[in-house]
Amino acid sequence: MGVLHRQRWCGATALAVPLLTLASPGVLKIAGVAPSWAVLWLLPWALVDGPASGAVAGLALGLVLDGLNLGDASQVPVLLLLGWWWGRLGRRGAPIERSFSLGLLALLGSLALGSSLLLQFRLQGHWPEAGWHILLAQTLLTALLAPMICSLLLLRWRQVASLRG
Amino acid sequence: MNGRLHRVPALRKILQAWPWGLLLLSLAGVRLSKGAFFADAYALLSRPFWPGTAQAEWLRSAQRLSDQARVSQLEQDNRRLRGLLALDRSPGAAVSAPVISRDPGGWWQQLELGKGSLEGIAAGDPVLAPGGLIGRVASVTPSTARVALLTNASSRLGVWVGRTQRHGLLVGAGTPRPKLQFLEKDTGVRPGDVVTTSPASTLVPPNLTVGVVQAVDEQAVPAPDALVQLSAPVDAVDWVRVLTRGAR
Repeated sequence: MGVLHRQRWCGATALAVPLLTLASPGVLKIAGVAPSWAVLWLLPWALVDGPASGAVAGLALGLVLDGLNLGDASQVPVLLLLGWWWGRLGRRGAPIERSFSLGLLALLGSLALGSSLLLQFRLQGHWPEAGWHILLAQTLLTALLAPMICSLLLLRWRQVASLRG
Repeated sequence: MNGRLHRVPALRKILQAWPWGLLLLSLAGVRLSKGAFFADAYALLSRPFWPGTAQAEWLRSAQRLSDQARVSQLEQDNRRLRGLLALDRSPGAAVSAPVISRDPGGWWQQLELGKGSLEGIAAGDPVLAPGGLIGRVASVTPSTARVALLTNASSRLGVWVGRTQRHGLLVGAGTPRPKLQFLEKDTGVRPGDVVTTSPASTLVPPNLTVGVVQAVDEQAVPAPDALVQLSAPVDAVDWVRVLTRGAR
């Protein structure tokens, strides 16, 4: 565990995820599809704060987002795994901070999240015909926004972590 | 020679009077064209005084008023006849609610409304937008309600094509246009047919406009299906009406 989760203000920024999901600002949409805000917040958090904190944050975000959405499809498993995986990546080797790496990680995360939702819809028997389109649009948009949003959060949280740690 | 009367004008004089000839020719032209030039010139000059958009607006508003009066009269008539047939369910109130969150394009086709169970909204209530039915309430909190749109992949609604008198099942597909599945082979449904809620429906009020058939796939098995364009603009709606069931 890192030290970030002890800073209340840093943890409170997670509130932006459900709020942005609800508000779904129209300027940040491709063909009506919004980016995956959970991935955009979870990526820098897990990279800075480690696997355990990342997994807990992923679990919490998944539970909140599941409550906001219709139906039984759940985002919890994938977000939990992503938080844990990104946390391990952040602990090992050189720190990840290049825009390209952040974009690639966000792309993989968003792809995994969308695929899991698509699979769950498929298993439940109603196949969204626009599924591939939504998956592709959300993945592209999340990967494009990640270098802008994630790198800012990452820089800020690294500062906080190095000050407190 | 000087005293002689000139009974026949000299050719030179006729040629000298060419402006008069021109006038005569132009008058003949006016006659032959039935005064086209004057009519056009008059139209050009009087254009500023033509009946303008304001007058068209009055006429349209008069038309709208007459349509509204007609609709309300027909509604009364309809209610009376339904009462006679004992088809009426207890009339509930209509609650106007603002749309506070809208996500018709993502994984979940849903709306969030700014009024909830405190206003009498309950799960299952039909939600109407200007233009027709858009969905049903899926869950409520004291001050918000979540609407599952007809385009949601889990949405199923029994509908009625009035022209051919056929029942069908409107199945959401996650796309802006839900799919209409028929129960029998020979439907006779064509693009352009209006789809309404079933006249015998008890889940949603009968005879609400839902949409228009846009394309029919006759080759589909086991029965033909059709794509329906919803008549209410789901992307742009900002206030909706929720038909609560009153004291039930």
